[in-house]
Amino acid sequence: MENPKILIVDDDIDHTKAIQVILESNHYSVVTASDRNEGMEKAKLEKPDLFILDVMMSTWHDGFEMSRELKKDPQFKDIPILILTAVKERTGLGFKSTAGDSEWLPVDGFLDKPVEPENLLSEVTSILSGKS
Amino acid sequence: MKPVPENNRLYKRAHWLITLRWIAIVGVVFGTYICNRILAIELQVSALYSIAILLAGYNLAMLLLLNRLNKGEKELTCREVKKIINFQISADLLLLTALLHFSGGIENPFVFYFTFHMIIASILLSLRESYFQATFAVLLFGLLVLLEYLQFIPHYCLRGFVSHCLHRDGPYLVGTFFVFATALYLAVYMTSYIAVRLRRAEQAYKQANLMLEEKDRIKDEYVLRVTHDIKGHLATIQSCLRVVVNRIVGPLDAQHTDLISRAHKRTIKLTHFVKRLLQLTQMRLSNNLEMEPFSLNNTVHSVVEMVKTKAEDKSITLKSNVEPSADRIFGNQFSIEEMLTNLLLNSIKYTPESGTVEINTTNNGEGIVVEVADTGIGIPEEEQKQIFDEFYRASNARDIERDGTGLGLSIVKHIVNRHGGKIEVESKNGCGTKFRLTLLKEKGGHRGLISSKT
Repeated sequence: MENPKILIVDDDIDHTKAIQVILESNHYSVVTASDRNEGMEKAKLEKPDLFILDVMMSTWHDGFEMSRELKKDPQFKDIPILILTAVKERTGLGFKSTAGDSEWLPVDGFLDKPVEPENLLSEVTSILSGKS
Repeated sequence: MKPVPENNRLYKRAHWLITLRWIAIVGVVFGTYICNRILAIELQVSALYSIAILLAGYNLAMLLLLNRLNKGEKELTCREVKKIINFQISADLLLLTALLHFSGGIENPFVFYFTFHMIIASILLSLRESYFQATFAVLLFGLLVLLEYLQFIPHYCLRGFVSHCLHRDGPYLVGTFFVFATALYLAVYMTSYIAVRLRRAEQAYKQANLMLEEKDRIKDEYVLRVTHDIKGHLATIQSCLRVVVNRIVGPLDAQHTDLISRAHKRTIKLTHFVKRLLQLTQMRLSNNLEMEPFSLNNTVHSVVEMVKTKAEDKSITLKSNVEPSADRIFGNQFSIEEMLTNLLLNSIKYTPESGTVEINTTNNGEGIVVEVADTGIGIPEEEQKQIFDEFYRASNARDIERDGTGLGLSIVKHIVNRHGGKIEVESKNGCGTKFRLTLLKEKGGHRGLISSKT
Protein backbone atom coordinates (compact mmCIF):
# COMPACT_ATOMS: atom_id res chain seq x y z
CA MET A 1 0.00 0.00 0.00
CA GLU A 2 1.09 3.53 -0.77
CA ASN A 3 2.18 5.91 1.99
CA PRO A 4 -0.77 7.85 3.41
CA LYS A 5 -0.91 11.39 2.11
CA ILE A 6 -1.37 14.28 4.53
CA LEU A 7 -2.32 17.84 3.62
CA ILE A 8 -1.14 20.51 6.06
CA VAL A 9 -2.87 23.90 5.80
CA ASP A 10 -1.18 26.51 7.95
CA ASP A 11 -0.11 30.09 7.25
CA ASP A 12 2.96 29.62 9.47
CA ILE A 13 5.24 28.00 6.89
CA ASP A 14 8.04 27.51 9.41
CA HIS A 15 5.85 25.46 11.69
CA THR A 16 4.57 23.55 8.67
CA LYS A 17 8.15 22.71 7.79
CA ALA A 18 8.81 21.19 11.22
CA ILE A 19 5.70 19.01 11.05
CA GLN A 20 6.45 18.07 7.48
CA VAL A 21 9.92 16.81 8.48
CA ILE A 22 8.49 14.77 11.36
CA LEU A 23 5.82 13.21 9.18
CA GLU A 24 8.04 12.55 6.18
CA SER A 25 10.66 10.88 8.36
CA ASN A 26 7.89 8.47 9.33
CA HIS A 27 7.07 7.72 5.72
CA TYR A 28 4.03 9.86 5.29
CA SER A 29 3.73 11.78 2.10
CA VAL A 30 3.11 15.46 2.85
CA VAL A 31 1.53 18.25 0.84
CA THR A 32 1.35 21.79 2.20
CA ALA A 33 -0.77 24.89 1.66
CA SER A 34 -0.54 28.24 3.34
CA ASP A 35 -4.14 29.43 3.22
CA ARG A 36 -7.67 28.23 2.95
CA ASN A 37 -8.06 28.75 -0.82
CA GLU A 38 -4.82 27.02 -1.63
CA GLY A 39 -5.83 24.31 0.83
CA MET A 40 -9.11 23.62 -0.99
CA GLU A 41 -7.35 23.56 -4.35
CA LYS A 42 -4.70 21.12 -3.15
CA ALA A 43 -7.36 19.00 -1.50
CA LYS A 44 -9.10 18.54 -4.85
CA LEU A 45 -5.85 17.95 -6.65
CA GLU A 46 -4.02 15.67 -4.23
CA LYS A 47 -6.90 13.78 -2.58
CA PRO A 48 -5.12 13.42 0.79
CA ASP A 49 -5.95 10.80 3.43
CA LEU A 50 -5.79 13.29 6.31
CA PHE A 51 -6.04 17.04 6.76
CA ILE A 52 -4.04 18.93 9.36
CA LEU A 53 -5.50 22.43 9.68
CA ASP A 54 -4.32 25.39 11.67
CA VAL A 55 -7.22 27.18 13.30
CA MET A 56 -5.87 30.65 13.07
CA MET A 57 -5.02 31.63 9.57
CA SER A 58 -6.11 34.95 8.05
CA THR A 59 -9.05 35.16 10.44
CA TRP A 60 -8.93 33.46 13.78
CA HIS A 61 -11.35 30.70 12.86
CA ASP A 62 -10.37 29.95 9.26
CA GLY A 63 -9.46 26.38 10.17
CA PHE A 64 -12.92 25.83 11.66
CA GLU A 65 -14.57 27.25 8.56
CA MET A 66 -12.49 25.07 6.30
CA SER A 67 -13.25 21.93 8.26
CA ARG A 68 -16.97 22.66 7.93
CA GLU A 69 -16.57 23.23 4.21
CA LEU A 70 -14.70 19.93 3.81
CA LYS A 71 -17.28 17.94 5.73
CA LYS A 72 -20.07 19.34 3.56
CA ASP A 73 -18.30 18.25 0.38
CA PRO A 74 -19.22 14.63 -0.54
CA GLN A 75 -15.73 14.21 -1.97
CA PHE A 76 -14.06 14.89 1.40
CA LYS A 77 -16.67 14.20 4.04
CA ASP A 78 -15.09 10.91 5.07
CA ILE A 79 -11.51 12.20 5.26
CA PRO A 80 -10.39 12.83 8.83
CA ILE A 81 -9.34 16.26 10.06
CA LEU A 82 -6.79 17.07 12.74
CA ILE A 83 -6.90 20.62 14.07
CA LEU A 84 -3.67 22.26 15.09
CA THR A 85 -3.99 25.21 17.36
CA ALA A 86 -2.20 27.79 19.42
CA VAL A 87 -5.43 29.54 20.29
CA LYS A 88 -6.69 27.43 23.15
CA GLU A 89 -5.81 30.16 25.62
CA ARG A 90 -7.20 32.84 23.42
CA THR A 91 -10.68 31.45 23.00
CA GLY A 92 -10.79 29.78 26.40
CA LEU A 93 -12.71 26.91 24.83
CA GLY A 94 -12.22 23.42 26.08
CA PHE A 95 -11.57 22.08 22.60
CA LYS A 96 -10.98 18.52 23.70
CA SER A 97 -14.49 18.13 25.04
CA THR A 98 -16.04 19.44 21.83
CA ALA A 99 -14.04 17.19 19.49
CA GLY A 100 -16.85 14.65 19.30
CA ASP A 101 -19.50 17.26 18.67
CA SER A 102 -19.79 16.84 14.94
CA GLU A 103 -22.56 19.41 14.65
CA TRP A 104 -20.50 22.25 15.98
CA LEU A 105 -17.09 21.27 14.76
CA PRO A 106 -16.76 18.21 12.57
CA VAL A 107 -13.15 17.25 13.29
CA ASP A 108 -11.41 14.12 14.50
CA GLY A 109 -8.70 15.48 16.78
CA PHE A 110 -6.92 18.44 18.27
CA LEU A 111 -3.27 19.16 18.80
CA ASP A 112 -1.78 22.08 20.64
CA LYS A 113 1.12 24.07 19.20
CA PRO A 114 4.03 23.51 19.80
CA VAL A 115 3.67 19.91 18.76
CA GLU A 116 5.64 17.09 20.35
CA PRO A 117 6.70 14.68 17.59
CA GLU A 118 5.49 11.65 19.57
CA ASN A 119 2.05 13.16 20.16
CA LEU A 120 1.71 14.18 16.55
CA LEU A 121 2.65 10.75 15.27
CA SER A 122 0.47 8.82 17.68
CA GLU A 123 -2.51 11.07 16.94
CA VAL A 124 -2.00 10.73 13.18
CA THR A 125 -1.57 6.96 13.41
CA SER A 126 -4.65 6.48 15.55
CA ILE A 127 -6.83 8.68 13.34
CA LEU A 128 -5.67 6.97 10.15
CA SER A 129 -6.02 3.48 11.58
CA GLY A 130 -9.47 4.27 12.94
CA LYS A 131 -10.38 5.28 9.43
CA SER A 132 -9.21 2.27 7.48
CA MET B 1 -12.29 49.65 45.99
CA LYS B 2 -15.24 50.38 43.76
CA PRO B 3 -17.29 53.54 44.29
CA VAL B 4 -20.73 52.99 45.82
CA PRO B 5 -23.44 53.97 43.32
CA GLU B 6 -25.29 57.17 44.17
CA ASN B 7 -28.71 55.51 44.47
CA ASN B 8 -27.35 52.90 46.85
CA ARG B 9 -25.79 55.56 49.03
CA LEU B 10 -28.94 57.68 49.13
CA TYR B 11 -30.90 54.58 50.02
CA LYS B 12 -28.62 53.96 52.98
CA ARG B 13 -29.02 57.59 54.07
CA ALA B 14 -32.79 57.22 53.94
CA HIS B 15 -32.36 54.29 56.33
CA TRP B 16 -30.08 56.37 58.48
CA LEU B 17 -32.82 59.02 58.77
CA ILE B 18 -35.15 56.32 60.06
CA THR B 19 -32.61 55.31 62.71
CA LEU B 20 -32.16 58.93 63.76
CA ARG B 21 -35.93 59.27 64.03
CA TRP B 22 -36.14 56.34 66.45
CA ILE B 23 -33.62 58.15 68.64
CA ALA B 24 -35.61 61.39 68.33
CA ILE B 25 -38.80 59.58 69.38
CA VAL B 26 -37.10 58.22 72.49
CA GLY B 27 -35.81 61.75 73.13
CA VAL B 28 -39.33 63.21 72.88
CA VAL B 29 -40.78 60.64 75.28
CA PHE B 30 -38.00 60.96 77.87
CA GLY B 31 -37.74 64.74 77.43
CA THR B 32 -41.46 65.15 77.99
CA TYR B 33 -41.36 62.91 81.04
CA ILE B 34 -38.35 64.62 82.61
CA CYS B 35 -39.51 68.20 81.88
CA ASN B 36 -42.97 67.49 83.14
CA ARG B 37 -42.31 65.26 86.16
CA ILE B 38 -38.88 66.31 87.35
CA LEU B 39 -38.45 69.89 86.19
CA ALA B 40 -42.18 70.54 86.76
CA ILE B 41 -42.68 72.43 83.50
CA GLU B 42 -46.26 72.66 82.38
CA LEU B 43 -46.70 70.65 79.16
CA GLN B 44 -49.50 69.18 77.05
CA VAL B 45 -48.25 65.75 77.96
CA SER B 46 -50.92 63.64 76.25
CA ALA B 47 -50.64 65.62 73.02
CA LEU B 48 -46.83 65.24 73.04
CA TYR B 49 -47.04 61.47 73.66
CA SER B 50 -49.63 61.17 70.90
CA ILE B 51 -47.26 62.92 68.48
CA ALA B 52 -44.49 60.55 69.57
CA ILE B 53 -46.76 57.58 68.76
CA LEU B 54 -47.64 59.16 65.43
CA LEU B 55 -43.92 59.61 64.71
CA ALA B 56 -43.27 55.97 65.56
CA GLY B 57 -46.07 54.79 63.29
CA TYR B 58 -44.88 56.93 60.41
CA ASN B 59 -41.29 55.82 60.94
CA LEU B 60 -42.32 52.18 60.83
CA ALA B 61 -44.25 52.81 57.62
CA MET B 62 -41.14 54.43 56.08
CA LEU B 63 -39.01 51.47 57.11
CA LEU B 64 -41.43 48.99 55.52
CA LEU B 65 -41.70 51.11 52.39
CA LEU B 66 -37.93 51.25 51.95
CA ASN B 67 -37.49 47.53 52.51
CA ARG B 68 -40.28 46.73 50.10
CA LEU B 69 -38.85 48.97 47.39
CA ASN B 70 -35.45 47.34 47.78
CA LYS B 71 -36.92 43.89 47.25
CA GLY B 72 -38.74 44.97 44.10
CA GLU B 73 -37.75 43.87 40.62
CA LYS B 74 -36.44 47.21 39.47
CA GLU B 75 -33.50 48.98 40.98
CA LEU B 76 -34.42 52.20 42.78
CA THR B 77 -33.42 55.36 40.97
CA CYS B 78 -31.82 58.36 42.66
CA ARG B 79 -34.96 60.38 42.00
CA GLU B 80 -37.19 57.89 43.73
CA VAL B 81 -34.98 57.78 46.82
CA LYS B 82 -34.74 61.58 46.85
CA LYS B 83 -38.53 61.80 46.74
CA ILE B 84 -38.70 59.61 49.83
CA ILE B 85 -36.06 61.68 51.63
CA ASN B 86 -37.88 64.90 50.70
CA PHE B 87 -41.09 63.47 52.03
CA GLN B 88 -39.40 62.37 55.26
CA ILE B 89 -37.88 65.79 55.88
CA SER B 90 -41.15 67.63 55.15
CA ALA B 91 -43.08 65.30 57.44
CA ASP B 92 -40.48 65.78 60.17
CA LEU B 93 -40.75 69.56 59.89
CA LEU B 94 -44.53 69.35 60.19
CA LEU B 95 -44.40 67.08 63.23
CA LEU B 96 -41.69 69.14 64.90
CA THR B 97 -43.91 72.22 64.48
CA ALA B 98 -46.77 70.29 66.08
CA LEU B 99 -44.50 69.25 68.96
CA LEU B 100 -43.47 72.87 69.46
CA HIS B 101 -47.08 74.03 69.40
CA PHE B 102 -47.91 71.78 72.34
CA SER B 103 -44.79 72.74 74.25
CA GLY B 104 -44.75 76.53 74.30
CA GLY B 105 -44.37 77.49 70.63
CA ILE B 106 -41.83 80.28 70.32
CA GLU B 107 -40.90 79.98 73.99
CA ASN B 108 -39.43 76.55 73.42
CA PRO B 109 -35.67 76.67 72.66
CA PHE B 110 -35.98 73.41 70.73
CA VAL B 111 -37.01 75.55 67.72
CA PHE B 112 -33.37 75.49 66.71
CA TYR B 113 -33.57 71.76 66.08
CA PHE B 114 -35.02 72.76 62.73
CA THR B 115 -31.43 73.48 61.74
CA PHE B 116 -30.56 69.76 61.75
CA HIS B 117 -33.14 69.10 59.07
CA MET B 118 -31.64 71.85 56.97
CA ILE B 119 -28.15 70.38 57.25
CA ILE B 120 -29.34 66.89 56.32
CA ALA B 121 -31.37 68.25 53.39
CA SER B 122 -28.41 70.26 52.11
CA ILE B 123 -26.13 67.23 52.15
CA LEU B 124 -28.54 64.76 50.59
CA LEU B 125 -30.72 66.84 48.31
CA SER B 126 -30.23 69.40 45.57
CA LEU B 127 -29.75 73.07 46.35
CA ARG B 128 -33.27 73.91 45.15
CA GLU B 129 -34.84 71.20 47.25
CA SER B 130 -32.88 72.34 50.30
CA TYR B 131 -34.04 75.95 49.96
CA PHE B 132 -37.54 74.67 49.43
CA GLN B 133 -37.33 72.72 52.72
CA ALA B 134 -35.94 75.82 54.50
CA THR B 135 -38.81 77.94 53.16
CA PHE B 136 -41.29 75.29 54.20
CA ALA B 137 -39.84 75.28 57.74
CA VAL B 138 -39.89 79.08 57.97
CA LEU B 139 -43.49 79.20 56.73
CA LEU B 140 -44.62 76.48 59.11
CA PHE B 141 -43.01 78.10 62.12
CA GLY B 142 -44.11 81.59 61.02
CA LEU B 143 -47.67 80.37 60.67
CA LEU B 144 -47.54 78.80 64.13
CA VAL B 145 -46.23 81.98 65.71
CA LEU B 146 -48.71 84.15 63.84
CA LEU B 147 -51.72 81.99 64.63
CA GLU B 148 -50.74 81.85 68.29
CA TYR B 149 -50.20 85.63 68.28
CA LEU B 150 -53.58 86.23 66.69
CA GLN B 151 -55.07 83.70 69.12
CA PHE B 152 -56.62 81.67 66.29
CA ILE B 153 -55.10 78.67 67.98
CA PRO B 154 -54.36 78.36 71.70
CA HIS B 155 -50.93 79.08 73.07
CA TYR B 156 -49.64 76.66 75.70
CA CYS B 157 -47.38 78.67 77.94
CA LEU B 158 -44.22 76.96 79.17
CA ARG B 159 -44.91 77.76 82.80
CA GLY B 160 -42.05 76.66 84.97
CA PHE B 161 -39.57 77.53 82.23
CA VAL B 162 -40.35 81.13 81.25
CA SER B 163 -41.57 83.71 83.76
CA HIS B 164 -44.40 84.97 81.53
CA CYS B 165 -45.98 84.06 78.23
CA LEU B 166 -44.07 85.43 75.24
CA HIS B 167 -46.45 84.69 72.35
CA ARG B 168 -47.78 88.24 72.23
CA ASP B 169 -44.46 89.92 72.93
CA GLY B 170 -43.95 91.70 69.56
CA PRO B 171 -40.21 92.56 69.62
CA TYR B 172 -39.32 89.11 71.02
CA LEU B 173 -41.39 87.40 68.31
CA VAL B 174 -39.88 89.43 65.49
CA GLY B 175 -36.33 89.06 66.83
CA THR B 176 -36.55 85.31 67.43
CA PHE B 177 -38.30 84.69 64.12
CA PHE B 178 -35.70 86.76 62.28
CA VAL B 179 -32.81 84.79 63.82
CA PHE B 180 -34.66 81.52 63.22
CA ALA B 181 -35.27 82.21 59.53
CA THR B 182 -31.75 83.48 58.84
CA ALA B 183 -30.23 80.55 60.78
CA LEU B 184 -32.07 78.07 58.55
CA TYR B 185 -31.16 79.78 55.28
CA LEU B 186 -27.55 80.25 56.36
CA ALA B 187 -27.31 76.60 57.38
CA VAL B 188 -28.56 75.56 53.95
CA TYR B 189 -26.23 77.97 52.19
CA MET B 190 -23.11 76.94 54.11
CA THR B 191 -23.74 73.23 54.12
CA SER B 192 -24.63 73.04 50.45
CA TYR B 193 -21.63 75.17 49.59
CA ILE B 194 -19.37 72.50 51.08
CA ALA B 195 -21.51 69.52 50.06
CA VAL B 196 -21.61 70.58 46.41
CA ARG B 197 -17.84 70.90 46.31
CA LEU B 198 -17.36 67.57 48.02
CA ARG B 199 -19.74 65.95 45.57
CA ARG B 200 -17.83 67.47 42.65
CA ALA B 201 -14.51 66.27 44.02
CA GLU B 202 -15.97 62.80 44.46
CA GLN B 203 -17.28 62.87 40.92
CA ALA B 204 -13.78 63.72 39.74
CA TYR B 205 -12.35 60.79 41.72
CA LYS B 206 -14.93 58.47 40.24
CA GLN B 207 -14.07 59.70 36.78
CA ALA B 208 -10.38 59.21 37.44
CA ASN B 209 -11.04 55.74 38.79
CA LEU B 210 -13.04 54.79 35.71
CA MET B 211 -10.26 56.11 33.52
CA LEU B 212 -7.71 54.06 35.40
CA GLU B 213 -9.82 50.94 35.02
CA GLU B 214 -10.11 51.62 31.31
CA LYS B 215 -6.35 52.11 31.04
CA ASP B 216 -5.82 48.86 32.88
CA ARG B 217 -8.10 47.09 30.44
CA ILE B 218 -6.25 48.55 27.47
CA LYS B 219 -2.98 47.40 29.01
CA ASP B 220 -4.38 43.90 29.47
CA GLU B 221 -5.54 43.77 25.87
CA TYR B 222 -2.15 44.91 24.74
CA VAL B 223 -0.41 42.25 26.83
CA LEU B 224 -2.83 39.68 25.43
CA ARG B 225 -2.04 40.59 21.82
CA VAL B 226 1.69 40.75 22.37
CA THR B 227 1.97 37.54 24.33
CA HIS B 228 -0.24 35.77 21.86
CA ASP B 229 1.97 36.79 18.98
CA ILE B 230 5.06 35.81 20.92
CA LYS B 231 3.50 32.45 21.69
CA GLY B 232 2.95 31.72 17.99
CA HIS B 233 6.60 32.38 17.15
CA LEU B 234 7.77 30.45 20.18
CA ALA B 235 5.68 27.43 19.25
CA THR B 236 7.29 27.35 15.84
CA ILE B 237 10.82 27.73 17.23
CA GLN B 238 10.12 24.98 19.73
CA SER B 239 8.68 22.61 17.13
CA CYS B 240 11.66 23.17 14.80
CA LEU B 241 14.22 22.68 17.58
CA ARG B 242 12.39 19.61 18.74
CA VAL B 243 12.82 18.03 15.32
CA VAL B 244 16.57 18.60 15.52
CA VAL B 245 16.93 17.55 19.17
CA ASN B 246 15.06 14.32 18.44
CA ARG B 247 17.48 13.69 15.60
CA ILE B 248 14.62 13.26 13.18
CA VAL B 249 16.66 14.96 10.46
CA GLY B 250 19.77 12.96 11.19
CA PRO B 251 22.61 12.52 13.70
CA LEU B 252 24.18 15.39 15.67
CA ASP B 253 27.53 15.56 17.41
CA ALA B 254 27.65 16.04 21.18
CA GLN B 255 28.34 19.77 21.11
CA HIS B 256 25.50 20.49 18.71
CA THR B 257 23.16 18.40 20.80
CA ASP B 258 24.16 20.21 23.95
CA LEU B 259 23.67 23.70 22.53
CA ILE B 260 20.44 22.94 20.73
CA SER B 261 19.05 21.16 23.80
CA ARG B 262 19.79 24.25 25.88
CA ALA B 263 18.00 26.46 23.36
CA HIS B 264 15.10 24.02 23.26
CA LYS B 265 14.76 23.93 27.05
CA ARG B 266 14.72 27.71 27.21
CA THR B 267 11.96 27.93 24.62
CA ILE B 268 9.95 25.45 26.69
CA LYS B 269 10.35 27.65 29.77
CA LEU B 270 9.51 30.77 27.83
CA THR B 271 6.43 29.12 26.33
CA HIS B 272 5.32 28.15 29.81
CA PHE B 273 5.75 31.71 31.03
CA VAL B 274 3.89 33.19 28.07
CA LYS B 275 1.06 30.70 28.52
CA ARG B 276 0.70 31.68 32.17
CA LEU B 277 0.75 35.37 31.34
CA LEU B 278 -1.86 34.85 28.65
CA GLN B 279 -4.04 32.91 31.01
CA LEU B 280 -3.92 35.53 33.74
CA THR B 281 -4.53 38.38 31.31
CA GLN B 282 -7.44 36.55 29.79
CA MET B 283 -9.01 35.99 33.15
CA ARG B 284 -8.60 39.65 34.01
CA LEU B 285 -10.29 40.64 30.76
CA SER B 286 -13.21 38.23 30.76
CA ASN B 287 -16.19 39.56 32.66
CA ASN B 288 -18.15 36.42 33.20
CA LEU B 289 -17.11 33.12 34.55
CA GLU B 290 -19.71 30.40 34.12
CA MET B 291 -20.60 29.11 37.54
CA GLU B 292 -22.47 25.97 38.46
CA PRO B 293 -22.70 23.57 41.38
CA PHE B 294 -20.25 20.66 41.20
CA SER B 295 -18.45 18.08 43.31
CA LEU B 296 -15.33 19.45 44.96
CA ASN B 297 -14.21 16.05 46.18
CA ASN B 298 -14.17 14.60 42.66
CA THR B 299 -12.17 17.62 41.55
CA VAL B 300 -9.70 17.11 44.38
CA HIS B 301 -9.32 13.44 43.41
CA SER B 302 -8.65 14.21 39.77
CA VAL B 303 -6.18 16.97 40.66
CA VAL B 304 -4.33 14.63 43.03
CA GLU B 305 -4.19 11.99 40.29
CA MET B 306 -2.79 14.57 37.91
CA VAL B 307 0.10 15.66 40.14
CA LYS B 308 0.81 12.21 41.62
CA THR B 309 3.76 11.39 39.39
CA LYS B 310 5.42 14.72 40.17
CA ALA B 311 5.22 13.93 43.89
CA GLU B 312 6.46 10.37 43.35
CA ASP B 313 9.46 11.69 41.44
CA LYS B 314 10.57 13.45 44.64
CA SER B 315 9.37 10.66 46.99
CA ILE B 316 6.89 13.11 48.48
CA THR B 317 3.91 11.63 50.33
CA LEU B 318 0.76 13.08 48.83
CA LYS B 319 -2.27 12.84 51.10
CA SER B 320 -5.83 13.91 50.51
CA ASN B 321 -8.60 14.04 53.03
CA VAL B 322 -12.05 14.98 51.86
CA GLU B 323 -15.09 15.47 54.02
CA PRO B 324 -18.37 14.32 52.43
CA SER B 325 -20.21 17.40 53.77
CA ALA B 326 -17.73 19.64 51.97
CA ASP B 327 -18.54 18.24 48.57
CA ARG B 328 -20.96 20.50 46.75
CA ILE B 329 -19.60 23.89 45.84
CA PHE B 330 -20.65 26.65 43.50
CA GLY B 331 -18.14 27.88 40.97
CA ASN B 332 -16.34 27.28 37.72
CA GLN B 333 -15.00 23.75 37.84
CA PHE B 334 -12.27 24.33 35.28
CA SER B 335 -10.77 27.27 37.19
CA ILE B 336 -11.06 25.57 40.58
CA GLU B 337 -9.22 22.58 39.14
CA GLU B 338 -6.58 24.90 37.74
CA MET B 339 -6.23 26.66 41.07
CA LEU B 340 -5.84 23.47 43.10
CA THR B 341 -3.34 22.09 40.59
CA ASN B 342 -1.32 25.29 40.87
CA LEU B 343 -1.28 25.08 44.66
CA LEU B 344 -0.33 21.40 44.76
CA LEU B 345 2.40 21.75 42.13
CA ASN B 346 3.76 24.72 44.05
CA SER B 347 3.85 22.71 47.25
CA ILE B 348 5.56 19.79 45.53
CA LYS B 349 8.07 22.12 43.90
CA TYR B 350 9.09 23.77 47.16
CA THR B 351 9.05 20.69 49.37
CA PRO B 352 12.34 18.81 49.71
CA GLU B 353 12.56 15.07 48.94
CA SER B 354 10.56 12.67 51.16
CA GLY B 355 8.42 15.50 52.56
CA THR B 356 4.64 15.56 52.79
CA VAL B 357 2.00 17.49 50.83
CA GLU B 358 -1.59 17.37 51.98
CA ILE B 359 -4.93 18.59 50.65
CA ASN B 360 -7.96 18.62 52.94
CA THR B 361 -11.52 19.81 52.52
CA THR B 362 -13.83 20.71 55.39
CA ASN B 363 -17.17 22.40 55.85
CA ASN B 364 -17.05 25.18 58.43
CA GLY B 365 -20.75 25.96 58.24
CA GLU B 366 -20.34 29.21 56.34
CA GLY B 367 -18.35 27.87 53.44
CA ILE B 368 -16.12 25.13 52.15
CA VAL B 369 -12.54 25.27 53.31
CA VAL B 370 -9.72 23.72 51.29
CA GLU B 371 -6.32 23.49 52.90
CA VAL B 372 -3.13 22.73 51.01
CA ALA B 373 -0.27 22.12 53.42
CA ASP B 374 3.32 21.05 52.90
CA THR B 375 6.52 20.48 54.82
CA GLY B 376 8.45 22.63 52.39
CA ILE B 377 10.80 25.58 52.61
CA GLY B 378 8.10 27.99 53.80
CA ILE B 379 7.72 31.65 52.98
CA PRO B 380 9.62 34.32 54.93
CA GLU B 381 7.12 36.21 57.06
CA GLU B 382 7.96 39.63 55.68
CA GLU B 383 7.31 38.40 52.14
CA GLN B 384 3.97 36.72 52.76
CA LYS B 385 1.97 39.80 51.80
CA GLN B 386 3.57 39.99 48.37
CA ILE B 387 3.41 36.38 47.24
CA PHE B 388 0.12 36.93 45.39
CA ASP B 389 1.49 39.90 43.45
CA GLU B 390 2.13 39.36 39.77
CA PHE B 391 5.74 38.40 39.00
CA TYR B 392 6.70 38.36 42.69
CA ARG B 393 8.77 35.39 43.83
CA ALA B 394 9.83 34.76 47.41
CA SER B 395 13.57 35.03 47.95
CA ASN B 396 13.97 31.40 49.04
CA ALA B 397 11.84 30.22 46.09
CA ARG B 398 14.19 32.01 43.70
CA ASP B 399 17.10 30.11 45.22
CA ILE B 400 15.42 26.78 44.48
CA GLU B 401 14.15 27.52 40.99
CA ARG B 402 15.58 30.40 39.06
CA ASP B 403 13.10 30.48 36.21
CA GLY B 404 9.68 30.40 37.88
CA THR B 405 7.10 32.69 36.35
CA GLY B 406 5.88 34.39 39.53
CA LEU B 407 2.36 34.11 38.12
CA GLY B 408 1.06 30.86 39.64
CA LEU B 409 -0.20 32.35 42.90
CA SER B 410 -1.53 35.47 41.11
CA ILE B 411 -3.69 33.15 39.04
CA VAL B 412 -4.81 31.35 42.20
CA LYS B 413 -5.68 34.62 43.91
CA HIS B 414 -7.54 35.86 40.87
CA ILE B 415 -9.63 32.70 40.67
CA VAL B 416 -10.45 32.89 44.40
CA ASN B 417 -11.53 36.52 44.02
CA ARG B 418 -13.71 35.71 41.03
CA HIS B 419 -15.45 33.13 43.18
CA GLY B 420 -16.05 35.55 46.03
CA GLY B 421 -13.83 33.42 48.25
CA LYS B 422 -10.72 34.22 50.19
CA ILE B 423 -7.26 32.77 50.56
CA GLU B 424 -4.95 32.95 53.56
CA VAL B 425 -1.43 31.77 54.00
CA GLU B 426 0.19 30.43 57.12
CA SER B 427 3.89 29.79 56.92
CA LYS B 428 7.20 29.93 58.69
CA ASN B 429 10.52 30.17 56.95
CA GLY B 430 11.81 26.62 56.69
CA CYS B 431 8.81 25.02 58.37
CA GLY B 432 6.27 24.45 55.62
CA THR B 433 3.36 26.40 54.22
CA LYS B 434 -0.39 26.11 54.54
CA PHE B 435 -2.80 27.79 52.13
CA ARG B 436 -6.39 28.01 53.31
CA LEU B 437 -9.10 28.71 50.72
CA THR B 438 -12.68 29.47 51.60
CA LEU B 439 -15.22 28.91 48.83
CA LEU B 440 -18.95 29.34 48.47
CA LYS B 441 -21.25 26.41 49.08
CA GLU B 442 -23.61 25.10 46.45
CA LYS B 443 -26.28 27.76 47.07
CA GLY B 444 -24.76 31.07 46.07
CA GLY B 445 -26.79 32.95 48.67
CA HIS B 446 -29.46 35.47 47.78
CA ARG B 447 -28.45 39.05 47.97
CA GLY B 448 -30.66 42.13 47.91
CA LEU B 449 -31.05 44.02 44.68
CA ILE B 450 -29.13 47.11 45.61
CA SER B 451 -26.38 45.50 47.64
CA SER B 452 -25.48 43.11 44.82
CA LYS B 453 -24.86 46.01 42.48
CA THR B 454 -21.49 47.02 43.78
